[in-house]
Amino acid sequence: MSTLDIKDVHKAYGSVQVIHGITLNIKDGEFVALVGPSGCGKSTLLRMIAGLEEVTQGEIDIGEREVTDLPPKARDIAMVFQNYALYPHMTVRDNMGFALKQRRTPKSEIRQRVDEAAKILGLEDLLTRKPRALSGGQRQRVAMGRAIVRNPNVFLFDEPLSNLDAKLRVQMRSEIKELHQRLGTTTVYVTHDQIEAMTLADRVVVMNGGVIEQEGPPLELYDHPKSVFVAAFIGSPPMNFFEGTVEQGNVLRLEDGTQLQLPVSDPKGRTEITVGVRPEHFELADTGWPATVSVVEATGSETQITARLAGKMIRVLVRGRTDVQAGQDIHLTVKPELIHMFDPAPIPDVALEEDH
Amino acid sequence: MSKDTSKAPRRGRTQWGDLAVRWSFMLPTIVLLILVLAYPIWYTIEISFSSFDMMTFGAGEWVGWENYAWVVDDYRFWESLWVTLVYLIWALPIQIILGFGIAYMINAPWRGRGLLRALFIIPMVVAPVVAGGIWRMLLDPIWGVINWVFGLVGLGPFDWFGDPNLAMATIVIIDTWRWTPFIVLIATAALLALPRDVFEAAKIDGAGRWATLWSVALPLLAPVIAATFVIRWLGAVKMFDIVLASTLGGPGKSTSVINLFIYEEAFRSLNFAESAAMAMIVLVLTMLLTGVFLIGSRKLETMH
Repeated sequence: MSTLDIKDVHKAYGSVQVIHGITLNIKDGEFVALVGPSGCGKSTLLRMIAGLEEVTQGEIDIGEREVTDLPPKARDIAMVFQNYALYPHMTVRDNMGFALKQRRTPKSEIRQRVDEAAKILGLEDLLTRKPRALSGGQRQRVAMGRAIVRNPNVFLFDEPLSNLDAKLRVQMRSEIKELHQRLGTTTVYVTHDQIEAMTLADRVVVMNGGVIEQEGPPLELYDHPKSVFVAAFIGSPPMNFFEGTVEQGNVLRLEDGTQLQLPVSDPKGRTEITVGVRPEHFELADTGWPATVSVVEATGSETQITARLAGKMIRVLVRGRTDVQAGQDIHLTVKPELIHMFDPAPIPDVALEEDH
Repeated sequence: MSKDTSKAPRRGRTQWGDLAVRWSFMLPTIVLLILVLAYPIWYTIEISFSSFDMMTFGAGEWVGWENYAWVVDDYRFWESLWVTLVYLIWALPIQIILGFGIAYMINAPWRGRGLLRALFIIPMVVAPVVAGGIWRMLLDPIWGVINWVFGLVGLGPFDWFGDPNLAMATIVIIDTWRWTPFIVLIATAALLALPRDVFEAAKIDGAGRWATLWSVALPLLAPVIAATFVIRWLGAVKMFDIVLASTLGGPGKSTSVINLFIYEEAFRSLNFAESAAMAMIVLVLTMLLTGVFLIGSRKLETMH
């Protein structure tokens, strides 16, 4: 176990810079999730930590040791790949023991450590099988087993669950969490799925365009996103945004002229702002922002309402059930402490990427 | 129930129409295959069991196994088989190891790789007879450039076509020159198709260059290597054009591979029936050995 310090790291392919100076200090035993849309540089950063990608500029330290120019094997890290990357011609036991064998660990010790890891992951009965005779979830577990037998300083996960179906993904997610609680190994976990990041990590790092957009504990990002990007990325279903100009202190005038009463005025006193409201923070009321319901989807525990406000699609999430019908006119209010105000910025399409 | 019976005949009719269409598409190919493949094979089988009638240029009287008995008794047949075996034992491993080795090396990105790949194709597009001729000139004991080069460092002169052992080496060299590029191409495709992340996993697991090659790359390439081996094996068994153009089987019978012998028996000695019997024996032997090899390599694959 060990700390991991990333100091002003840059990465460029030729003249194209993809990572623009990232600094991140990860504490011993911390679980950090790197999250962001595809192309944001999160996987590149992970691969630089692993040593699979050269660092163009900057420094990476594991523990007290600088590893920036060391090959992967000298870094004492273990990595779980998106496509598992198991050795197809080896049994589960040989897959898990391969790293130890390379280090010339005595056979009896390899055996014992593989057995231990297999027990933790429930792989005892599969040790003699080949990867192709395993299901996706089992392969993922073997890949994790291969990582834990080495007892490394740092675990790196590169979108490990994205090839699994939804149900298995949720199950493996809790297994990874449990594993981390049990082993307490410093972990960096890359994902494009904000829910994975939120549920697993002690700290979430939202990346965008090769820089860190915001980092912090999951709920802090949810409660206090600093930008439209983070606000749009964290939370599901995603936040609703309203772009407009502020008039008379607390009236938001949208592009088409619709005026919305804000529960509070902008503390920063901007005139051009983007207002954000999470679907679950809208409340149905008799007065407030007028909207017309287009779709009502009830799942039992909650009801999602899609409505039109000033020609724009918005989402409203209501706990339990509601008697609102499609076509009905409704009014929405928000508590003053739950409304978000941002500098105007393009709203990313992250909501569309959520499931693929 | 009544619904089902009323529907059944209609479905039957469409099926017949469908079948007719399918066969009409296949018919030209079938006819062509019968003409160029099935008939020659049948012709060979037929005359291998008959005496050859020079007048009709076809099978004469049925003689049963007589031709086969004659062939099996002929020591020259066994000698030729032995020559072919020696040639295979040298040429195949050399070509496979060279082919995959070169592919492994030129797979690393470097400048001029494309040009080198293009150069590699040349031997393959040269007609075998021309290849034999070119090498005959290069290796000529008196005028050849190769002996001149050896002479510069004080070696030789070597009689590339006159010495029995050297002549075999010459054949292997020419064949290797001609076929290694083909294997390089296959191996390059295979290397490019290997999963990258498995090699990255090996890197992280601490496998060095040799361990990666031995424990990861080779096992992953094993099926391709086996397939290449079979392709080359089949090609090498029927090789005779290079020999024909360079050594003509000599000196003595030292490079007279089985196909050259069959060819000479048929078209020089005009023993058509006997050479047909030889061709059949070689065909059956090849099929048997290929089968054994395929089963063996599959076993090896699942074992590994």
